[in-house]
Amino acid sequence: MKRVPFFDNPVLRGSLPMWRARLVLILIFAGFLTLVGRALFLQGISTEFLQQQGERRYERTIPLPAMRGKILDRNGAVLASSVPARGVFAIPEDVKKASDEQMKALAKLLEMPVADIRARIDDDRNFVYLKRQVSVDVGDEIKALNVPGVHQLGENRRYYPDGEVMGHVVGFTNIEDRGQEGVELTFNDVLSGTAGSRRVIKDRLGRVIEDVQAIVPPVDGKDLRLSIDTRLQFVVYKALQDALEERGARAGAAVVIDVHTGEVLALANLPTFDPNRRETYKPANLRNMAITDTFEPGSIMKPFTAALALDLGRITPTTIFDTGNGKFRYQGSTISDVSRNGSIAVGDILRRSSNIGMTMISERLQSREMWDRFTELGLGTAPQIGFPGAAPGRLRPWDRWRLIEKATMAYGYGLSVSLLQVARAYSVFARDGDMVSLSLVKRDSEPTSVRVYPTKIAVMLRSMLEAAAGPDGAKAAQVQGYRVAGKSGTARKIIDGKYSTSRYRSSFVGFAPVSDPKIIVAVSIDEPQKGAYYGGAVAAPVFSRIVGGSLRLMGVKPDAPFESTIVANAPERTR
Amino acid sequence: MGRLSVIVAILLMLSAISLVTARYQSRQLFVESERVQAQTRDLETGWRRLQLDRAEYARNSRVDEAASGELGMLGIVPDRTLYLNQPRGNTAGGAQ
Repeated sequence: MKRVPFFDNPVLRGSLPMWRARLVLILIFAGFLTLVGRALFLQGISTEFLQQQGERRYERTIPLPAMRGKILDRNGAVLASSVPARGVFAIPEDVKKASDEQMKALAKLLEMPVADIRARIDDDRNFVYLKRQVSVDVGDEIKALNVPGVHQLGENRRYYPDGEVMGHVVGFTNIEDRGQEGVELTFNDVLSGTAGSRRVIKDRLGRVIEDVQAIVPPVDGKDLRLSIDTRLQFVVYKALQDALEERGARAGAAVVIDVHTGEVLALANLPTFDPNRRETYKPANLRNMAITDTFEPGSIMKPFTAALALDLGRITPTTIFDTGNGKFRYQGSTISDVSRNGSIAVGDILRRSSNIGMTMISERLQSREMWDRFTELGLGTAPQIGFPGAAPGRLRPWDRWRLIEKATMAYGYGLSVSLLQVARAYSVFARDGDMVSLSLVKRDSEPTSVRVYPTKIAVMLRSMLEAAAGPDGAKAAQVQGYRVAGKSGTARKIIDGKYSTSRYRSSFVGFAPVSDPKIIVAVSIDEPQKGAYYGGAVAAPVFSRIVGGSLRLMGVKPDAPFESTIVANAPERTR
Repeated sequence: MGRLSVIVAILLMLSAISLVTARYQSRQLFVESERVQAQTRDLETGWRRLQLDRAEYARNSRVDEAASGELGMLGIVPDRTLYLNQPRGNTAGGAQ
């Protein structure tokens, strides 16, 4: 084959116009310029936007929810705990494609009528919750149904195994897992953790392939150990429940406090609610009366005034007061006793709960002294227990007390307190004169306490209170095997600004065993209807039951003599 | 010169292949660790649920109902209790 030199190609022999070559050259250059321009634009100017878009295609941030901490009682029993649940939602437009059978099956699993579901999805919105807090098992069954447009979200559901027995103490959370009442609200910050997150790359099928950044791990909420003892709580709850039924009372509340540590061992109110069932959340049931309700204490205040007079040396245990025939004119009002008591000393005034005797003691005291001592006892200031809505009660400034008011305050009218405040104040008699600070959380260290009365006075009052709960006093308060001390109170309620003659609040506050007090128990029964209404008849038996049950559960050795009805036989054979 | 470039080319190939396998292994291990973590979560949840179940069955009101209703048991009172005085310092043997 003959070589044809390129410069001697027959094609090139004919001369072509020069402009055609130029044109081609220019076009090619123009093409290149466009490409360079485009590349510059993509790389330089819109690079960030494009990279973001790219990442959005394959990278995802997954939130890592934190579990809410558990609430435990003092022995480690679970009072509240969260488990995963599902929130079932629907995209209305897509659900319309679902068949009737599917809807029926879905309705059955959700325990809702089909019409209800239809009504919910008949909506312009593109996201509707069908039901929240569905258990995981039901959630899986719903997933298996494959209803178009029905999807699920992960959430947590909180369970309260003790239900209504513990309702007021533990409280409850809302659907977003935030505390709304009780301990759940007070300690919400401790209980709720911090959610974490992780940034990952996902593949085409949505599986996680790798982490892009370091994971921010979720911090689970801390577990909270309360001072409450579930066993005592149940004893208290049961005693209250039976008393309310027996007396036809409107409401009742009781508190048990550990004398040495100031821990609240039990706190129950009736009527109550079950935190697991939202339909029981009624305003009347939700009231934590022991902490948030204040009332005129009545006779249960008498020991404090008597102790003050003894402390200041205005009276001695043998000072005799002539209470007359049970009616006494004082400052234009008539003060009356339940019975004629004649001439009695302070011990008998407490035992027989004489209002006249207390009036006479108050004459030897100044308003200022009483106000100071009541304030030291924590009346008029809310207890620092960290519970929502703790009531401070009402104690008016002493310079505005009239003489008759000073007298009524001496026996517990004209001021208001909460049951928890009274229970705490009684710790001065159970604890040799100092008042302990309360706690709802289990304590690791010694509690702080404030000295209110000298030890001598506290010991003296203790024996007077033992007599007041003795055979000649509120004998219904007695407990077999244990020495108890306490004071009953019957306060008339104020209805339309006047003291009612038919509605009462019966209360009893005391402690046991007297030889070495372990627990303080305060009971209040609101508006007993059937039978007697006196604190010594209504509240004292409840006190007795609570003390008996609690001391037995706590393993406290009996300190009172009793006759045993059983005898031990010599073992016939050894095990 | 020629031999050197052949050796470098082989090394390059080896390095490339090892990169691929390392990448593959890392994915495998990642998947495994994910699976184990999911298992941890499941076990944690299961434990929480069992704990709740136990609390539910050991609920005081339930026990009380069973004891006084089904089994006909009575609460103990001091006069039906025998208190044994144990000599001090010998507390270990008493509890059973």
